[in-house]
Amino acid sequence: MVNLTIDGKEVKVSKTATIYEAAKEAGIYIPVLCYAKKLLPYGACRVCLVEVEQMKGRLIPSCTTPVTAGMVVTTMSDEIRKVRKTVLEFLLVNHVVDCPVCDKAGECDLQDLSYEYEVVTNRFAGEKFDLPKDEINPLIERNMNRCVLCGKCVRVCDEVVGYGSYSFINRGFETKIATAFDRGLNCEFCGQCVSLCPVGAILPRPFKFKARPWQLKEVNSVCGYCGNGCTVTFGTKDNEVQTIRFNDKTGVNDGNLCIRGRFGATYVNSDQRLTSPLIRKDGELVEASWEEALEKVTEGLRSAGSSAGIISGARLTNEELFLLKNLAKAVGTGNLDHSGGECYKGVTEGLHETLGLQASTATFPQVEKANAILAIRNDFYETHPVFGMVVNQAVKRNNAHLTVIGDKQGKLTRMPHARNLQHKPGLEVNILNAMCRFLLDEKLAKTDGLQGVEELQEALADYAVDAVTAAAGVSADAIKQSAKELVSAENAAILLAYGLPYTAYSRELGLAAANLALLTGIAGRSGSGLYLCGEKSNSQGAIDQQILPAAGALGVSGMLKSASEGKLKALYVTGEDMLVSYPDKGLVEKALDKTPFVVVQDLFLSETASKADVVLPAASFAEKSGTFTNAERRIQRLHPGIKSPGQAKTDFAIFQALLTGFGAAVPATEAAAFMALAATTPGYEMVGLEMIGDQGYVWGGETLVPEIRNLVAVTGGKALEAKYQLVVGSALYHSGTTSVHAKGPMSVVSEPYIEFGREDAAELKIVDGQQVKLKAAGGEISAKAKVDRRLPKGVLFAPYHFGSLKLNRIYNGQASIAVEISK
Amino acid sequence: MTETAQQETVEEIDLTAANRVIDKYIDMHGSLMPVLQGIQEAYGYIPEETVHLTAERLNVYASQIYGVLTFYAQFHLQPRGKYIVRVCMGTACHVKGAGRIAETLKDRLGIEHAETTEDVKFTAEYVACIGACGMAPVIMVNDATYGSLTVQKMDDVIKKYQAMD
Repeated sequence: MVNLTIDGKEVKVSKTATIYEAAKEAGIYIPVLCYAKKLLPYGACRVCLVEVEQMKGRLIPSCTTPVTAGMVVTTMSDEIRKVRKTVLEFLLVNHVVDCPVCDKAGECDLQDLSYEYEVVTNRFAGEKFDLPKDEINPLIERNMNRCVLCGKCVRVCDEVVGYGSYSFINRGFETKIATAFDRGLNCEFCGQCVSLCPVGAILPRPFKFKARPWQLKEVNSVCGYCGNGCTVTFGTKDNEVQTIRFNDKTGVNDGNLCIRGRFGATYVNSDQRLTSPLIRKDGELVEASWEEALEKVTEGLRSAGSSAGIISGARLTNEELFLLKNLAKAVGTGNLDHSGGECYKGVTEGLHETLGLQASTATFPQVEKANAILAIRNDFYETHPVFGMVVNQAVKRNNAHLTVIGDKQGKLTRMPHARNLQHKPGLEVNILNAMCRFLLDEKLAKTDGLQGVEELQEALADYAVDAVTAAAGVSADAIKQSAKELVSAENAAILLAYGLPYTAYSRELGLAAANLALLTGIAGRSGSGLYLCGEKSNSQGAIDQQILPAAGALGVSGMLKSASEGKLKALYVTGEDMLVSYPDKGLVEKALDKTPFVVVQDLFLSETASKADVVLPAASFAEKSGTFTNAERRIQRLHPGIKSPGQAKTDFAIFQALLTGFGAAVPATEAAAFMALAATTPGYEMVGLEMIGDQGYVWGGETLVPEIRNLVAVTGGKALEAKYQLVVGSALYHSGTTSVHAKGPMSVVSEPYIEFGREDAAELKIVDGQQVKLKAAGGEISAKAKVDRRLPKGVLFAPYHFGSLKLNRIYNGQASIAVEISK
Repeated sequence: MTETAQQETVEEIDLTAANRVIDKYIDMHGSLMPVLQGIQEAYGYIPEETVHLTAERLNVYASQIYGVLTFYAQFHLQPRGKYIVRVCMGTACHVKGAGRIAETLKDRLGIEHAETTEDVKFTAEYVACIGACGMAPVIMVNDATYGSLTVQKMDDVIKKYQAMD
């Protein structure tokens, strides 16, 4: 700690603080334009100049100057005022004064400072910039005439996002912020630059002319898309979510968001939302009253009893899942499961068998301090983009060693010094096994207290590094080096995402990752962690509450199989469009057709809903109270920003009504439900709603210590012998099937595509945008080609979000699909 | 597959030479400048495709490379002529008729400052001073200097290079 004096006030701050930070901590105001808490000091704008007694003769930029003991700082004097005013005058030589039409007016730092420093005339005159606006992309408008060259957009895109869209180009008076070759913006569209731009140079286009900033009501809630659990701050007006506003004070995401979080919430305003219950009459779905619909559902479920199946999405709140579980009990069925059944076995079974846990062992912020990181499946940053940003910061700021095991390249593999173990599809487990084997052979493994060391060593006989190297197509040195880094790092992290597009050998992957985490001592060690991240906003909550089949009962795949054989009497699906997103469309179709009574509860009349007997209109995350548990076990509270459209009800209200129909006990409020679920959910026992503050509450603490330490041998995959094979996954811009109703993500990726590596595209003479057909066992799919740089030869990729692609006609959960290509 | 993606038009060029340059410097810290200089030497300019290749292989953002390329005057993003005609616009040359010399060049070849003829034979560059004021007005064609120019002499120089391969 360092003592200094600012404006006569004694201040004690950390020795790494800058003068600006010290002043801020002491409640002393210094204006800034280029400073941002999460970026490295830069010192470009010069409005934060202050006087330091020990550095007389010049003014000192407070945002880049570290404090020293005994410093005497003055933050305001006649001279400082004069200089700051001059700086503003210089900025306003170039900056156009078009505040009346600028969306930033009312919250623009330059405007506020011009007002504060009374810049009413300008002693300097010059030609204003007349640069063309970038209005090509649908989400982010760039008007460089308003730019003050603070470089925040350049820095955030590099330091935090790791995409590097922007740079300063040209020099001198001609300097401006631009993309490579000065083209329109074509990036991840996370909008981090939008959130940090202090002026109106970078603006969210969807918000244009929607409201003045001061007209918006702000409500903090949790993003409804992925398991990252980012805080979103709704700016609402006229019962619509108009924009998602910057907020680095609440939650763990430091104001960082991805395209879905920042631009994808608008589906809640969609005029396609279901507004009243629908009942099938004479083959048609017609509007009905809630009474009639609920009565029908109660009756249908009651008569099905133990042969009813309940499948839930993982975007329901904990409280809603709790009621759903009670509903299953009231109906008398153990056939309860969530999201795909197979996809999360890595956590529910893999981790359970090895660690006795069913959750990540540490929290996201710890990863920033990791020295070695292993990311399994580079898609993990596409499913959990903001977590990907944490990895970027670990690599860029703390020189963490990053290894990526994946079948395609991505943003992570392009990070500085990233080691890319790009393997043939379906062989992740083999590589993890090889790492384990290497650590055991070389006596590097930390085997103290582990069960099954010898058995594992024996079982891994076929996974010597050289053997795996040849089969998987990665270098032996890379495998060895990564294993060494993981085992020797003070803090290390193993990251794996799972979800609907990754159903193949999910349990095996969970086991293999857990084995490695045990052998390297990562699991349960403070500062290190094994992260198994669920795809959806409350995947972890669903696992915590055991939204899983009861002993001897059916999980999703069992239910679908059984239903397709006509053995289930009722199916109740909440928040899932199974026909689009689940593997094996044929099976799902048959299951829905053969089940006499199908209920679908959703926001939209999805493909699955249109097959139902009763459709119940549900509320979106923006209309709910309750809690989500994110992939690091952080329980966070949702707050409703708007009212539901028409007669749509929250899942909570719907389950309440159904439970009442069954004569079961019903918690009156979400708060009561939370108390009840906390009492019965392991890890939640001591958690009260009042304990969930701005940063949420991590159940089990920052580090979750394994209950057992069992090594479990696991068999790897075999490479598919096919000239061309298709892998299925998530696209960064979308999440499940919900984001296809959101204007933001749809304006960037509006239709399905089949991605080709450039080598294959050149050989097949396929160009970007050309219609191509893929034939596989099970059928044929057709979509436009997208030619990119990230796929190896012979491997194609297709995202699973779009119903029109009918991808699950050929995807049955296999690691990769042999395909034939035609035009 | 955004709309903006369609703006990208990538030239088809042989990347062997660029790869060779990158291979040479890949293990060197801070190798971007020598790599870009090497590529320019090999191709005569920096083709867009080589920027993407460099970005990919050196793990540097394409936008940053573009920032470097537009910062330094030594880099060229368009193909340049076989013969670079540098017309001195310094004070002495200006007084002794550099304007007329530049006009003649424009008249005969149809190119102004920083432009290249369609057959990629000539590029015109008006420069501040080439330090040969005694010979004003003066031009350089690649490394050869031609001084005390008149319109007639300028014509002869142009014809001479036009006749060469």
